Amino acid sequence: MASSQKHVFSLTGVLYQLERLEAHDQRSARPQDGHQGPQDSETDLEAKILKLRKLRDELRTKVKLHEAGARIPIANLEPYEPLKNSEENLKMKLEKAKAFFQAFHLTGLSGKLTTKGVCICFNTAFEGNILDSYYVDLIIKKPLQIHRHSVPVFIPLEQIAAKYLETNFQHFVYSLSEHLNGYSGRKYQADQLQCGFSAFLARPLQRNSLCTLLSFTYTMDPSGESFPFCARLVYQDLTTTLPTDVTITYQGTGATPASWENQRAVHETLFYKNALHKVFESFLRVRENFDCVSSVP
Amino acid sequence: MYGTSQLWVAGRWGRAFADNVSSNWWSLKASRTDPGLARSVNFMSAWEAGAALAGVIGMDEIVAEFIRRTILKIPVAEIGKILRIWNFIPESQLKTINLKQCKENVSQDVVELCKKKRASMKEAAILDIIYHQTCQIKKIWTVYKMTKAPGEEVDLSDMEEFKDSFKKVLQRALKNVHISFRDSEDTAVWIRIAWGTPYMKPNQYKTTYMVYHSQTPFVFISHCRIKKYIPELWQALMTAGNYHKIQQMELRSLYLDSLKAIVFKQYNQDFQTYCLTSLEEENSEVEIVDPRIIHENMKEKERIQRVTRETFGDYVQPRIEFAQYKLETKFKTDPKNGILAEREEPFRCLVKFSSPHLLEALKSLAPAGIADAPLSSLLTCIPHKAMNYFTIREK
Repeated sequence: MASSQKHVFSLTGVLYQLERLEAHDQRSARPQDGHQGPQDSETDLEAKILKLRKLRDELRTKVKLHEAGARIPIANLEPYEPLKNSEENLKMKLEKAKAFFQAFHLTGLSGKLTTKGVCICFNTAFEGNILDSYYVDLIIKKPLQIHRHSVPVFIPLEQIAAKYLETNFQHFVYSLSEHLNGYSGRKYQADQLQCGFSAFLARPLQRNSLCTLLSFTYTMDPSGESFPFCARLVYQDLTTTLPTDVTITYQGTGATPASWENQRAVHETLFYKNALHKVFESFLRVRENFDCVSSVP
Repeated sequence: MYGTSQLWVAGRWGRAFADNVSSNWWSLKASRTDPGLARSVNFMSAWEAGAALAGVIGMDEIVAEFIRRTILKIPVAEIGKILRIWNFIPESQLKTINLKQCKENVSQDVVELCKKKRASMKEAAILDIIYHQTCQIKKIWTVYKMTKAPGEEVDLSDMEEFKDSFKKVLQRALKNVHISFRDSEDTAVWIRIAWGTPYMKPNQYKTTYMVYHSQTPFVFISHCRIKKYIPELWQALMTAGNYHKIQQMELRSLYLDSLKAIVFKQYNQDFQTYCLTSLEEENSEVEIVDPRIIHENMKEKERIQRVTRETFGDYVQPRIEFAQYKLETKFKTDPKNGILAEREEPFRCLVKFSSPHLLEALKSLAPAGIADAPLSSLLTCIPHKAMNYFTIREK
């Protein structure tokens, strides 16, 4: 029989074992030169069996001793310490690891070593709300390069990488993190305004992809009798979540009353200093107070 | 109306007809309002003949016919929704339309209501855009990438300024183009362009659609058959968006959303992170019915699953229908035998993979046992490189 039979079955499976046994059987079935008779081989086998039995008994006693030995320390343990077998140990380790990863997630920046480099995860947040996550997969070799990423195309990743990736890696990570957090924060504010305060808006909110230019028209009075305010917020700095320019104008014809002008100045300051949805929350409170006051006879 | 050999158009001011002299040429015969207008001008298509006649009769009929045809294209279930989004016919009048009758009658009713409100081509164009935005139209979208001159910073990009600038530049370059804009929810603008010639009004049935997201260098264009105005189109785009160069990407598909997902990297790529959910998934075990049954190739199967998950991720892939590989390499064969061995010239191949959902099909190849895992990187790099047309050259 050819000894170089191809292994059809996987190297660990049952069928492989059967194959091996078959091959072994075939080998031993070949006629051997100058051999002893069948009776001699019988005695050989008997001796082998006795040896194996002895080995088996030795191993059994060893196992028993080991198990007994493992139980002895119970008497020496503190009364309150629970018995930890390996499965519980493993569970505790798993819980600890999960807690660590959650902590990493909350810090906003985490990484994991990959086969070729490292994958950095940027978790963005704004005012305690956890927002989207973005990933950058780097290959560690000279020069350092970005293999894949999930950063949106309007974030100037190439420019930041060109400036800092080679020279100052920490600065690269920090700068990208600022840009992503700035974008997430602005997007969050715009989404909150669009969904939560649409009652105030006369026209839907208009924004660009980076949310650096927001324009909307709002009124303080739900019935629409008061003059509307046309606001235009510009964020020149991509890393900030507060606008750098605020302009509120009146788009219609005719003169605006002095009260409107006063309100306009106040609103402008509010938009400069506070997040967008917070400003509208304050408008809502003003309106509710006003309603309360007017409903009192 | 256009199937016969004579073309009759009736409008408010009279009638005219054109004769189909031969299959390609129509001749404008007579006009009841102005018999002196009988001239035989030859037209290339029935449409152009109709357009000229309408120029004689009145704009209304063209608009009415266009609206009627657009409504006929919309599936019945979407007609009400699209008309509401269009917001041209008031709600009270919309309720009077019986959507359960046959489509011909529904479209007639809509046209009647539009006539009362004197719809112009401008509003009809918006209806066309809404139809394209809402329904899945079978059109191939091509992706173009624009680049800025080096050293330019990201600008604010006011969408209104972009639209004004684009319209001005294109209208200055070409006469008789009809441009319509409509913003969509995801900070993108849809631009619809109907092309005309200096002598012909814009052909509303041969339109080019463009989708542009502010502050991104990508434009998605669905071309119509008129290709000669592409340079002017690009010039307008680059001037309005403040870009320096435009280039066609090797990425084409019927599904605009998938193209956006690939190009904006919005599909779920699998990144190796300490993601909490993935830890829990790995603990799920295969159900073993009878403990005496052992899966022979369990290790190999697990390896294939792991490699597939690392390459493609857990989530659904973006949807594209084909990938094409143009091989400019020499065909390598055994030099001793083989008919092609003595060829001096290289043997060129073009390999095309097509499927209703190509990337999902590739993802299932290794688990199904049809291909080895990992798959060739030429197949798996399609979403990362944002290409589905490849040219493979000799190294």
